[in-house]
Amino acid sequence: MNATRYIRRYWQLYALLVLPVLYFAIFKYGPMYGVIIAFKDFNFFQGINGSKWIGFDAFREVFAMRDFYKTLRNTLMLNLLDLIVSFPAPLFIAIMLYELRTAWFRKLSQTILYIPHFISWIIIGGIAYQVFGTQSGMLNNIITSFGFDAVPFLTNKSYWLITYLAIGVWQSAGWGTIIYLAALTGLNRELFEAAEVDGAGRMRRIWSITLPSLKPTIVTLLIINIGHMISIGFDRPYIIGNTTVREYSDVLSTFVYRVGLESGQYTLATVVGLFQAVVGLVFVLGSNYVSKKLADQSIL
Amino acid sequence: MNARQGGRLFDTVNMIILFLLVLLCLAPFVHIIAISLSSTRAINSGEVSLLPIGLNWNSYKQVITDMSMIKSLGFTVLLTVLFTVFCMTMSLAAAYPLSKMKLKGRKFVMFFIIITMFFSGGIIPEYILVRNLHILDSIWALVLPGLISPFYLIILITFIQNIPDSLEESAEIDGSSYFRSLFSLIIPLSMPVIATLSLFYAVGRWNGFQDTLMYITSPELYPLQLKLYQLVQNNMVSDLMQLEGANGTQLLQPESLKAASVIFATVPILLVYPWLQRYFVNGVMLGAVKG
Amino acid sequence: MVKKLNKHSMHKKTAGLLALTLAGTALLSACGNNNNNGGDTASATSSASAAPSGKAITLKVEVFDRGNAPDGMSITNNYLTKFVQDNFGTPNNIKVEFVPVPRSEEVNKLNVLMASGSDVPDIVFTYDSSTFFRYAQQGGLTDLSELLDQYGPNLKEFIGEDTLAYGVVEGTQYGVPARRTHLGKYSSFIRTDWLDKLGLGSPTTTDELYNVLKAFKEKDPGNTGGKVIPLGMTIAPAQYEPLIWSFIQPATEEELYTLTSGTRDLPILLPGFKDALQFMNKAYNEGLMSLDFGLDKDKTKLGQDVANGLVGFYSEDDMNPFYKDGSVDTLRANNPTAVLSAVDVYTNSEGKHAKPEYTPIGMYLMIPKASKNAEAAIKYLDWMASGDNLFQMQNGVEGENYTLEDGVPVTIADQSDEFRNRLYNQGDMAIISNGKSLGSADLNVEAYVKGMPEANQDETRKAMTISRSDTIKPIRFDRPIESQAKYGTTLQDKFEEMLVKTTMAKPDQFDSTYEAMLKDYMASGGQAVLEERQQAYAAMTK
Repeated sequence: MNATRYIRRYWQLYALLVLPVLYFAIFKYGPMYGVIIAFKDFNFFQGINGSKWIGFDAFREVFAMRDFYKTLRNTLMLNLLDLIVSFPAPLFIAIMLYELRTAWFRKLSQTILYIPHFISWIIIGGIAYQVFGTQSGMLNNIITSFGFDAVPFLTNKSYWLITYLAIGVWQSAGWGTIIYLAALTGLNRELFEAAEVDGAGRMRRIWSITLPSLKPTIVTLLIINIGHMISIGFDRPYIIGNTTVREYSDVLSTFVYRVGLESGQYTLATVVGLFQAVVGLVFVLGSNYVSKKLADQSIL
Repeated sequence: MNARQGGRLFDTVNMIILFLLVLLCLAPFVHIIAISLSSTRAINSGEVSLLPIGLNWNSYKQVITDMSMIKSLGFTVLLTVLFTVFCMTMSLAAAYPLSKMKLKGRKFVMFFIIITMFFSGGIIPEYILVRNLHILDSIWALVLPGLISPFYLIILITFIQNIPDSLEESAEIDGSSYFRSLFSLIIPLSMPVIATLSLFYAVGRWNGFQDTLMYITSPELYPLQLKLYQLVQNNMVSDLMQLEGANGTQLLQPESLKAASVIFATVPILLVYPWLQRYFVNGVMLGAVKG
Repeated sequence: MVKKLNKHSMHKKTAGLLALTLAGTALLSACGNNNNNGGDTASATSSASAAPSGKAITLKVEVFDRGNAPDGMSITNNYLTKFVQDNFGTPNNIKVEFVPVPRSEEVNKLNVLMASGSDVPDIVFTYDSSTFFRYAQQGGLTDLSELLDQYGPNLKEFIGEDTLAYGVVEGTQYGVPARRTHLGKYSSFIRTDWLDKLGLGSPTTTDELYNVLKAFKEKDPGNTGGKVIPLGMTIAPAQYEPLIWSFIQPATEEELYTLTSGTRDLPILLPGFKDALQFMNKAYNEGLMSLDFGLDKDKTKLGQDVANGLVGFYSEDDMNPFYKDGSVDTLRANNPTAVLSAVDVYTNSEGKHAKPEYTPIGMYLMIPKASKNAEAAIKYLDWMASGDNLFQMQNGVEGENYTLEDGVPVTIADQSDEFRNRLYNQGDMAIISNGKSLGSADLNVEAYVKGMPEANQDETRKAMTISRSDTIKPIRFDRPIESQAKYGTTLQDKFEEMLVKTTMAKPDQFDSTYEAMLKDYMASGGQAVLEERQQAYAAMTK
């Protein structure tokens, strides 16, 4: 197809793309010159352009910090655990909701399950303390009333991992189901009836009809999740974490907050951000490549 | 017979598990409501769990009679609606062409977009950009910089790609243009995901306040969550509070007022999803195929 | 092969596009700068002749926004902003404009404002000394020495030489520190009804305290059913600092300057520090402290435990327990026979109740170099310090907000909301003073005492007397310790970790835990701070 014919045929599609591409160019690429802060000794009053170049000095400084490696390890560890535990949870719940026959209960539980997403981490942190505290937490009050020893849910680092994951699942799983439920609306119920006639059991049906229909959504979410393996939100580890378990709860975002933002060292913060960006991009391209090979699906 | 019994067992177990999950998710919310209705003494003693102690409505009276809260609610609704409409329009405009795998340059544009998921210039250049566009301290500073989330865009693309090609091909044979097919075919068929992403955008905007801290200085343009954040955060900066000495401590707000404000700021957005559920009807696609 | 080629060309394209957009923004930001410089020329020219006639100057003053404006007022338009405009602005032909900065984000927002070089108020402030030093060293602040001499005689007198010295960086007066009017920090509190019940006297030394705590634990005089917390502890300074400092051996000035560390000048390397941790460890392992003290950063749990009558003894900011509906009020509501009294217990090896006191400063007030209204800014601060302007800003109108009793303004209890709301932001508007300022330390304390619920006034007075006695004077370097600005937050975190880990260690693991944590502390910036402090001290005393 020659160029004019191609454009005459597809110009509408390109026209649609103009504004979105402009948006990314202006609002995302526009400020991106800020990454050069990583290579400068940033001075607030000389601005980004006026500050002195320092090459890779700041990278050397960050890579020489012990806490950098500790927080990097913790970030990967917590994200990996989340990928194993928190990633599948909404999928399970979505399928369970889909299988519910009582329509009013389905709608009601959908709405209630996503409430935790709306409670800010500060408040969740306060509640977590009341529920999981060792001395007088609700859960431990129950445990000790049966004559068992109190469990240090928040102050022992292994127990803390479980608490961290549990709170994460609780906070995000209901919210995560929404996207799967949207995907399931595309599913043809007649297929189910046909399967029922065949005498296929519930589990079998879920396995061979429901899950496959969710595959594109699952794969997309998985690729993006893997791309974000090295970045982690600030609030959850910071607020659920505490001094006694800092060995595990200290992550890159809290590290950046501490050495970069709180101390006015924007250069160090940018260095870590740049490092995360490069690794994240490699991860997302890698997982996209694998998904293309294995599942014939690609976001690129 | 066996399958049917198994099915009934499955239903029962399923229902019980979901019911327990529902209780678990509801409990903290009930706790916050209980706090908002309790007396200061009971709250300061840590007595309140799921039921209010020393029941009173003073905090709600205080919130509701505070005109700045009501105005802020109005502004937040306006902001959220405006933001969501803009975001969805832009996202659809981007997602439809990008769902066509064979479109030339698609890969390049996707890469161009995905880069922005990872690289950003940071707060200072972003602030300078917003200032240079002369939208500082206006509603646009809270709308324009976040118009398209690459993550949601990719989800939208995935969903649109799932619409069978045959549908669009038949439309094309009818001589339909891409614009027409976007409006008459793609959008109607994508209603569930459009509803979902609208919810995501709306909730993101409703709950977001970090940008308002930087871009907004006029109190008339404070969204609810910013007011809430200030109310809750005042307690959290205890190190700073110590520096402030007596200046800071006197400013503490009663916990029940905070809780009432949380409820006031959360309930409106919670109601959006039940309302959107109408778009989650099964078999939309099927109807289209038949029609 | 084909794929590889594709990818390669794609990268090239992306790079090209990136360059293009970058150039675009550079242009954009250049425009913005011009714009910005042009914006204020009008006021700049008029400021040269700041006479009551002619065009009014706009003076922009930062104000903390806590989102707590009462109904009908806003942070930029309220009784006090009008008071300032009417009494300072209008007579001087100056329009005073307040620029709100969110309280919790003050440093962040200030950084962004400074870096973007626009909309920076003429008067900015922060509590964070590192930020002040950074701005000063990076050349972003106006030298105030001459301006103060010329336009700020009242201000200089009010702040005082000693306090003003904290605003000097490398010999130049870059900031005006607000004056702190009450320097006392900490007092301790004990349940005297428990002591009476057990027939024990009030402890006067740390050793006696230990025995009392043991008795509280064993005999549980509050009938808590085993939930008693004899020693209330958190990881907030008010709880651990009085304890730790009482274990520190008397030190020379040099030791105090060089062997303390971090922005809080913690005595980590001073002899006695390990003993303090050892005491904490013993108390924890004998069940005298809450198992969860390491979680309690904002003192919420401690407050609840005190109010519920579980805590026997604790240290706290001197007047904190006594506010209306505070710990003491709630405790009394829960248990009318409970009595919580201020006591001074922790003793050092000299028999003194050594405890830290505040540096005599509040916020650092600064005038950015970009400001063209430095003169008007100093005039504003000077106005606030002169006559009874500060008094009026802090206390409102006599007969409506307060009545004078022995020179102390006593807040009228049943005043209308209209009157009360006038002063809702007085602490943030009266920026030259941290705390009520009535001319003498005792009068200031009395003003606070009179503000408390009547039943708590005596104990408040006692606590505020204790907090001012036997205090260790704060140290002041004549130059910023740069490594401390850099590692400050990290070191504070490491310190808290050390405190918690050594306390919670099994007694036989205490030594190894302490060694490991100290090593980590030193490696994470502690060593750099130590060396810089030694150099700075040597240079200062030369």
